This record gives sequence, C-alpha cells and structure tokens, in this order.
Amino acid sequence: MFWLTWRQHRAQILVTGGLLLALGLLMLVSALRATAYLAEYAPPGCPGPAVSCSAVNHVVYTDHYRPVFFVFGLLPIFGAALIGVFWGAPLLAAEFERGTNALAWTQAVPIRRWLTVKFGMLGALVAGAALALSAMVSTWRNVFSGVTGDVTMEPGNFTITGIVPAAWWLFAFAVGAAAGTVTRRTLAAMAVTVAVICLALPAVFFSRSSYAEPARVVTADRSSVAHGGGTLVRESWVDPSGRELTAPPPPPCPLPAGVDARSDRAQLLGEECLVGSGYRHAVYYHPVDRFWRFQWTETAILLAGALAFGALAVLRTLRRRG
Amino acid sequence: MNTLEAPSFRRGGRMNALETTGLGMRHRRTWALRDCSVAVPAGRVAALVGPNGAGKTTLLRLAVGLLTPTAGQVRVFGRPARESGERMAFVAQNKPLYTGFRVSEMLRFGRGLNPRWDDAAARRRLTELGIPLDRRVGRLSGGQRTQVALTVALAKRPDLLVLDEPLADLDPLARDDVTRGLMGAVAETGLTVLLSSHVVSELEGVCDWLVVVNGGRVQVSGDIDDLTARHSLLTGPAETADALAARLPVVSRSGAGRQATLLVRDDAPPPDPRWSARPVTLEEMVLAYLRAPDAAALPRPALSPVH
Repeated sequence: MFWLTWRQHRAQILVTGGLLLALGLLMLVSALRATAYLAEYAPPGCPGPAVSCSAVNHVVYTDHYRPVFFVFGLLPIFGAALIGVFWGAPLLAAEFERGTNALAWTQAVPIRRWLTVKFGMLGALVAGAALALSAMVSTWRNVFSGVTGDVTMEPGNFTITGIVPAAWWLFAFAVGAAAGTVTRRTLAAMAVTVAVICLALPAVFFSRSSYAEPARVVTADRSSVAHGGGTLVRESWVDPSGRELTAPPPPPCPLPAGVDARSDRAQLLGEECLVGSGYRHAVYYHPVDRFWRFQWTETAILLAGALAFGALAVLRTLRRRG
Repeated sequence: MNTLEAPSFRRGGRMNALETTGLGMRHRRTWALRDCSVAVPAGRVAALVGPNGAGKTTLLRLAVGLLTPTAGQVRVFGRPARESGERMAFVAQNKPLYTGFRVSEMLRFGRGLNPRWDDAAARRRLTELGIPLDRRVGRLSGGQRTQVALTVALAKRPDLLVLDEPLADLDPLARDDVTRGLMGAVAETGLTVLLSSHVVSELEGVCDWLVVVNGGRVQVSGDIDDLTARHSLLTGPAETADALAARLPVVSRSGAGRQATLLVRDDAPPPDPRWSARPVTLEEMVLAYLRAPDAAALPRPALSPVH
C-alpha cells in the first residue's frame, strides 16, 4: 500500500519537493547576499531601529528582502490552492473518473485501509512540506529582522510562518479530496477546490483579528504602537475627560491659510491640534507576543475544517465506492 | 414461480459461491435491479445474460461489494460480499488498470494488496502471452490489456472471479485467447466464474450455468444442460397453435403464415402428431426469454442437481 501510494503520487511528491528545494536555494542565496552586504556596508549597530541605520535598512529592504518576499506574498494563496488542486482533487476523483475504483477497492486490502494509508501518508507529506517551507522562511526572515523589525503578526508573514502553513495545506488537501468525491471528475474537482479555497482565505484572513480581545492602549503617539509590530485592529479618539468618542471630533484649531482641508497635511495638523488640546488616541491592537496564541487558534480552526472535509470524503467514498 | 423464494444455501452438499437474496438496487426513483435472488454453485462457470441496461453490471457490482444494495443481501461463500475481498476478483467492463504503470508495476500493485498473490504464475502467464513486463499499460492493445487485467485477477488466486463483459471490444482472435486463458485457469484451480455478456453465441461451450436478467429482474437461473433439455421447440400448423399453447407452458411463439413455432418449457413429446419437436440451442432459449420478459424459469426442487 505504501509503495502504491508513492507510485501513484510520485509526480506530486517530486514536483513539490523540487519547488521547495528551489525556494530554499532562492532564500539561501538571498540571505547570503544580504549578510555579505550588511557585513560590508552596515555602520556599527546596524541594521536596527536607529536613525543612522535608515539608509542601509532601506537598501537591504528594497534590494534583498522585498523581491524575495514578493514570491512568498503569493504563497499563502497559491501554496494552498496548488496542494488542494494537485494533491487533494485527483486523490479520489481520478480513481472514479478512470474506473480504477473498481480495481483498487476490490483487492484483499479493505477500502478503509486504502483510505487510511493514502490520507495518512499524503497528509503527513503535505504537513511536512508546509513545515519545511515555514522553517526555511523563518530562517531567512531572521536575517532581515534588524531591517524590518518584528513583522511576524503581519498577515502575509503570519500565514507562511509557524504551524499555520501546515494547517492551511492540510485543509486544502482535504477540500480537494472531498470535492473529488462530489464531482467524481478530476478537472471539476480542481475547480471546486479552487473556489472553496478562494472563499476560505478571505473568511479566515478577516476573522483573524477576532481570535482574541484586542489590547487597548491610550497614547498621544500612535506610531509607538506601530513600531512594536503587532496588528492594528481599530483606533478612536479619547477626549480630555477620558471618554471614548465614536466619531472623530472636529479639530479645535483653524487651518493655516493655503492648506486644503482635504489634504493629508490638513489631517496631520488636525491630529496634532487635537493631541495638543488633550485628546488622545485609543489604539486597539494585537501585540506580537500573541503570535503563537494566534497560530494555534488558526491551526485549530483549519484542522477542524480539514477533519470535516476529510470525514466527508471518507464517508462519501465508503457509501458510493462503485 | 415464486421469485422471492430464497435459493437454498447449500445444494447437494456444495456451497454456493455466490448467493443473492431479494437483492435490489435503486438509483433515485428507478430500480436498476429488483427482487433478485440467484445462486451460483461453486465450481461453475456462470453466464449472466441480458439486454443492454438489464441490470447486469449492477448485479455484478453488487456482488463484488462496489455498490451497496438498497434491499436484500449478497453472500460470497456464505459471508457478506464486503468481507470477501480476499476470495474474490473482479474485472470491470473497461478493464481498469493504471495506465501510467508498467505491466510489472501492475503486478507489484497486486502483490502489495493481496496476501494470496501468486507472482510466479502471473509472470509465467504474461510471458506465455508475449506481453512485455516493462511495457506501459497505456500502450498495450485492447486484447493485451484484457489479458493483463485477467492476469492480475487470477494471480490473486480467487475462489470467485467476476468479469463484466470480458469479451466486449475484442477481435475474434483476442476473444479466443481470453476465453482459452480463462478456461485453462478454471481447469487448473477449479475456481467459480461469473461473467456477463450480451452476446449469447460466445458463451456456448464456455459456461455451464446461466442467469438471465431482464428489466432489472432475474428471469432464468440454472444449469445450462438442464435448461436446454427441459425446453423444446415445437413446429406445427398455425390453426392448432392456440389449442396447444393453452395446454403447455409457452415461453414464446413465432412463425408466419400456416407454420407456427412455439418454444415451450416442457420436454415431453407434443401431444398432437401434426407437431414436431426438436431440442433448443442455448441462444434460441435465451432469445425466447428475452422476448418474453414475463416468462421465468427459476430454480425449483426438480432442477436441483443432487438430493
């Protein structure tokens, strides 16, 4: 059964392994080049948050970090979709479509064992590949931590580091398998898989901020919160008496002549004026130390989804195996 | 005949290889198969015959546990079909194999999934047939593909081999090769075979047990020699046909002008001397039943082999 699983799915396994290797090499080269650049040009104490570092930070960010991150920025969507389409969808749909279900499930090995080995082995490989990618990205990212600050809670990063990638890929794999039992055609199952993942991605992304009650801080300088990393949930104004306002108050100072009230500058001056008059920002955000708590929450949600779709696939296969 | 009557579990001391009781399969609102009670005694080569869409494939897929019956049950050597994967082999109509695999990989598939697998016999069989083991399954001819599928099924060393239209899409030479391969395996191991076909002529001399399904119901079930011996074809003047037909169990009648032909389920000589009788062939008998879906010849005590 293990040989059969390998033989039937070796194309996916080898291509996925090859892509991971290519990404790993890309990151290795990028990390080595960035390290070499920093060793040569970075002033003492850099990279870091100091003002003297901003020039070198900027160069490393635009020349070394951003081009590679651009590749990963697409991975949360494409990685999961590719796993669902090429690992999950054909798993059962191809058997039904080619009629080989009548071959595979009339052997001495019972269908339950067939399903257990296929789901177990391929699921383990999918999860392993996702964790390997996550580990590589984290290692690569560490080289740039001085340049970018802590961005682990930023949505793009959060989805490809930690254990969440494994949960996403397993979820996509299960969606694909379940779609295969519904359509019983590989191409249709692939389309359904992409549709479900396209719906699930924004649903999960937008519900992320409600995994926990956001922390609230009242401050005159809102950039202090942003610099600490973490994700912003919402902001409002607090008036001098400490009451939180639902709508932004009108700025008490008149605008200098020649400034358009609609411009960014007017906005900035208005905010400065409000702070000067005793108003404060109330910032609701998730600090970076919630990273693992959020990782586990999202993993639990996605694994529950993966289990539901996996169970659907197994039950439908057992009920309509012919 | 009472079609609901369950076939006896053992007959003449021999176990039935396959036995269905009140088997029914409904796809949404239509019944693909209904009230189907048939038995295939062990050691037989049974033909499952019926027109296209009669429910043959449904019956076979129920027998091997690929489908879940809506009603009734299937037993293979006395045990539920789904627990009999080890004793049973199935070759579906399109001879499913993994087209990307090499022939040797198909054998490895069989070896990995079946504890009773006989690899040496499988290799020997393919070598004798001249099928290269390193050829990709997708590049085999139709006949070779059927032979590989049959080899994978036989190497499981099944006690019951179920074949859905094994000879369809084959040229006459390949048909003969496949039939002979099958007969060789039967002679060697004594396994029970159930094969479906809608071409009756190709079953003569191959099968010794007949099951006819028509319109989702079992019409005929029994030993072929018994059945043909118990039917005869009467020919005589058309004006006396009605009187004769009223006294005999007529399966079908035909004829034009003054001559009438009756196929009757009776082996006694015709009571009217103006009528002549001759034995029926398997094909004539099957066609007569297919033309008369309401007629039935199902097992009854007199048809049982030994008591």
